[in-house]
Amino acid sequence: MSTFIKQACVMIHANIFSLRRRLAISVSMALSISLVVCVLAGFLAMAKGFEVALTGAGSPMVAVILGGGTNQEAGSDIPADAIRTLYAMTDDIGVSRESTGSLISSREIVVPVDVKQFVDGTTRTLALRGMDADGPSIREGITLSQGRFFTSGAREIVVGDRLAAEFGLGVGDTVRLGAVDWTVTGHFSAHGSAFESEIWADLDAVRAAFERQGQIQSLRLRLTSSASLKVLQDKLATITAIPLVAVSEADLYAAQSGRTANLIRLFGWPVALLMAVGATAGALNTMMSSVSDRTVEIATVRALGFGRLSAFIGTWVEAVILASAGAVLGIIASWLIFNGWQASTVGVNNARMAFQLAVTPSVMLTAGLLGLAIGIIGGALPAIAATRLPLTAALRARG
Amino acid sequence: MTENTPYIAISSIRKGYRLGAEAIPIFSDLDLSIPRGDFVAVMGPSGSGKSTLLNMLAGIDGPDAGTLRIGTSRLDQMGESARSSWRAHNMGIVFQFYNLLPMLTAAENVELPLLLKPLSRKDRRNRVEKVLDLVGLAGREKQYPAMMSGGEQQRVGIARAIVSDPGLLLCDEPTGDLDRKSADEVLGMLRFLNQEMEKTIVMVTHDPQAALYANRTLHLDKGNFHEEKRAA
Repeated sequence: MSTFIKQACVMIHANIFSLRRRLAISVSMALSISLVVCVLAGFLAMAKGFEVALTGAGSPMVAVILGGGTNQEAGSDIPADAIRTLYAMTDDIGVSRESTGSLISSREIVVPVDVKQFVDGTTRTLALRGMDADGPSIREGITLSQGRFFTSGAREIVVGDRLAAEFGLGVGDTVRLGAVDWTVTGHFSAHGSAFESEIWADLDAVRAAFERQGQIQSLRLRLTSSASLKVLQDKLATITAIPLVAVSEADLYAAQSGRTANLIRLFGWPVALLMAVGATAGALNTMMSSVSDRTVEIATVRALGFGRLSAFIGTWVEAVILASAGAVLGIIASWLIFNGWQASTVGVNNARMAFQLAVTPSVMLTAGLLGLAIGIIGGALPAIAATRLPLTAALRARG
Repeated sequence: MTENTPYIAISSIRKGYRLGAEAIPIFSDLDLSIPRGDFVAVMGPSGSGKSTLLNMLAGIDGPDAGTLRIGTSRLDQMGESARSSWRAHNMGIVFQFYNLLPMLTAAENVELPLLLKPLSRKDRRNRVEKVLDLVGLAGREKQYPAMMSGGEQQRVGIARAIVSDPGLLLCDEPTGDLDRKSADEVLGMLRFLNQEMEKTIVMVTHDPQAALYANRTLHLDKGNFHEEKRAA
């Protein structure tokens, strides 16, 4: 081992084993860093959870056709003529067909409805989706967890598991949506994706109840392969009466999740960075007091012949160790507090969307690195100060 | 270098400090010669320049002008890094308040100067055991400074100063924090190192009794040395 490494090891050892002399201020530095890490992890977990909920809802094997020049279901309108034209195409349009030759598809409409919350009685706006009978099966990962799906023409609804729990909608219950009563016939699971925040019902029943006769907002089609979306898009281009766009369900939800997730991050990062500036000042103060506390020790070993760099490394490593401890603490706290926490926001179609905060490894890594950066930056100046201590201090100061 | 060449040769040294705009001179034309193997006590009132002299001899501070030679090395011509390296290989320092690192054991404290040399762990351990035995602390290797008396801590400090076998020992009030009995033990040890191991020792002290252990006493006053005449 080179003499430099041995010197650095001694300085690091001396720093770490003298920590108890300045325990309070060292702990406060670690805690302030853990707070920053925890806050940033919270925001990132929120953004990640939102992304997971939405991207989990989309499949590359499902195409969503929207009309009226919009790329969102809310403002979309597809004329019945256009759908009839599409259904009349008998050649390969990239869409899977039933054994009868008809396209595997679901015409859909989304209506915002107010539902009273089970817990506190407050009213929330939810998305009621009217769909054809193939609607549930065309989607991936949908399983019926209780009861049965709705029947055609009936005022029956199936509810996502999350909504059912939150709004107390049991199978067999009656709930008033709009001007009419609906019977809950089942609960479905979508593995925590955005679909679980929706209420599904028969298309005609929804259109009749909300006076939307003839309206279709989106058409979902099961593709023969994810690459066949291009075939479908080319076929749609031949329908010139109205502009129609076909996007994969995965892309549709990814685009929607990206906007909101970026917004969350846009709020989260400045808050965390502002806190980080404060924590860096705290770290700098802590490490300056550490250098002051160890003045005699540093000057003594420097007087014995130790190099400046070993004094720098010893102080810097102490800062990084404290920051690492704070970062680990912050990550553990954020995981315990935030991971799996139920949250909700206004999602797609201006309806409430529930999601779980997700403290993923990438969230932990990003937040942890910020904590580490606080230690690296906050410890650098005091480490430089440690190299500039007057050695005469060693000759006169009481150790 | 001939046999008559002094081991420490200070010639026409000028040194001062600035206090704001004011220049405070410490030495304007200081000369000093100390032969190899001498044991010199330096005494003087506060502010006479004892610490400044010790700092310059230790290479911690440099003169403003003049020459400062120890052995064959011109410290006045060295940069800080070179002086630091020189110090590590040629000199041991004994501090007034021992300056032991409290989180290290006695053996680990003594080992510090050896970490600057390309020695194996075994060689280092052997040398540490040997010097701890020499200062009467055999078997106390694993004790921490807080578990030792002031006299014992200073003996660890002396062991640390001699572990790399330097030719020169600089002692800054080595008994300033000790009771008389411990002080006499430490001073006896310094005399032993001077007489039996031929170490050149420069000791700054306020204690006239401590100075008696040295071969000669130099009084530093107003920037000049006056040698004390002793009764035969």
